[in-house]
Amino acid sequence: MDLGLRRTQTGPLNEGRGRRTMKAASLGLVLPSVILVIVFATAARAEDKGTATVSKQAVEAKMKYCEVCHGPSAQGFQGYYPIPRLAGQQPDYIKNQLQAFIDRGRVNPIMANVAHVLSPAMQTALATNFHELNPKPVGGGQKDLVATGKKIFEEGVANTDVPPCASCHGLEAKGDGQFPRLAGQLPDYVFKKLTNWSKERGQNPEKPDTSAIMQPIAHGLTEPQIKAVAAYLSYLE
Amino acid sequence: MKLINPYRNLRPRGGPLQSGRRILQFVNLAVLTIVFAATSGADAAVSHGAVEAKLAYCQDCHGPMGQGYRGFFPIPRLAGQQTEYLENQLRAFVERRRPNPIMSNVAHVLSPDMITALATKFRDFNPKPLGGGPKELVGKGERIFQDGIPEANVAACAACHGPQALGYEQIPRLAGQLYPYLIKELTNWSKERGQNPAKPDTSFIMAPVAHSLTRSQVDAVAAYLSDLK
Repeated sequence: MDLGLRRTQTGPLNEGRGRRTMKAASLGLVLPSVILVIVFATAARAEDKGTATVSKQAVEAKMKYCEVCHGPSAQGFQGYYPIPRLAGQQPDYIKNQLQAFIDRGRVNPIMANVAHVLSPAMQTALATNFHELNPKPVGGGQKDLVATGKKIFEEGVANTDVPPCASCHGLEAKGDGQFPRLAGQLPDYVFKKLTNWSKERGQNPEKPDTSAIMQPIAHGLTEPQIKAVAAYLSYLE
Repeated sequence: MKLINPYRNLRPRGGPLQSGRRILQFVNLAVLTIVFAATSGADAAVSHGAVEAKLAYCQDCHGPMGQGYRGFFPIPRLAGQQTEYLENQLRAFVERRRPNPIMSNVAHVLSPDMITALATKFRDFNPKPLGGGPKELVGKGERIFQDGIPEANVAACAACHGPQALGYEQIPRLAGQLYPYLIKELTNWSKERGQNPAKPDTSFIMAPVAHSLTRSQVDAVAAYLSDLK
């Protein structure tokens, strides 16, 4: 589909170059069509920056680059930091987070640089590709906590006002729209996020985002409860 | 790491004990063997003297504090290295995933207990880096290490190796590594690592990174790391 759009654009652009050389010969006659071509070309370029074109090769090269850190099937990877699973992730969530890195709503120098050079078309292509990957979870959570974690995830902790995670993230933790998939996420990553929520998310007061929703929930969970939820999610396919 | 007990075949088995006639005879042997097996636990199976001797042998080439040495080949710094990484590389030499005849022979004779002991010793050394990279490249190298080159699809080294390049578990420390060693590894990655198709390893992660760095970028990163404490 992308390639198709690109082909339609090369038409007018090439034509423009041809007509510009003719301009010298018969200026008066050609001028209106030159203007037309310039308008055309500008529109095409604007589209480039939008959702129009990104080559298959460019997307594949960028995917490989992402997978260096996020794992060969984006199943997540334990580098110096726990690097999250992106496989099966909701495209809207991925795009929101990339924007949050750029806006410093999520302060992460590495990911800010990464996100900064991605065109919207590239972001969409990457988010779609990641969404379609489905590797086995890396696992790694404490096995004896899985049952407790499942209970918290599905039922919440009523006496401390913790709602069930499943009410937004879904019973299978697959997420929906801007709510992220959590199934198969790295346990260390989940733990780190939930214990640091208000220091890591929504850090740009000028650009408030939906991360505020999670703040009281992260705050209401104890560390052992977070460990349990993280353990449950780490094995969930 | 899973330790393999070299005395596992000497443990008393059920068979002889069941043959009632020779019970007494075997009880003696069994007791002796159990004592033997017990003393051959993780730290007893390799003597202090043997570890010190082996360490001195490693230090011949890797430098008196494991800081690395420029021999005919650049011989890498092992000081402060992650134990899991060292253990993995020794296994890689044995399995010819990293073809290196010298290190393959070295690694071949090391028992698992000895490997653990040596890896721990090297991890605890902390000599000054040898340095040696061109100073004018350090700034550029630091930027590549910390930020990567997103527009050229080069991932930030810091994401896996850590902002201080100290590594983590299977991911090696790079701080203070020899300038020529880093260049040699990064410019030859896919010829030097992961060479046994029957035994794939995590070295494949670095292949695209090494591939997308230009030679001058490799030099810069190596210069930065060679001076890093």
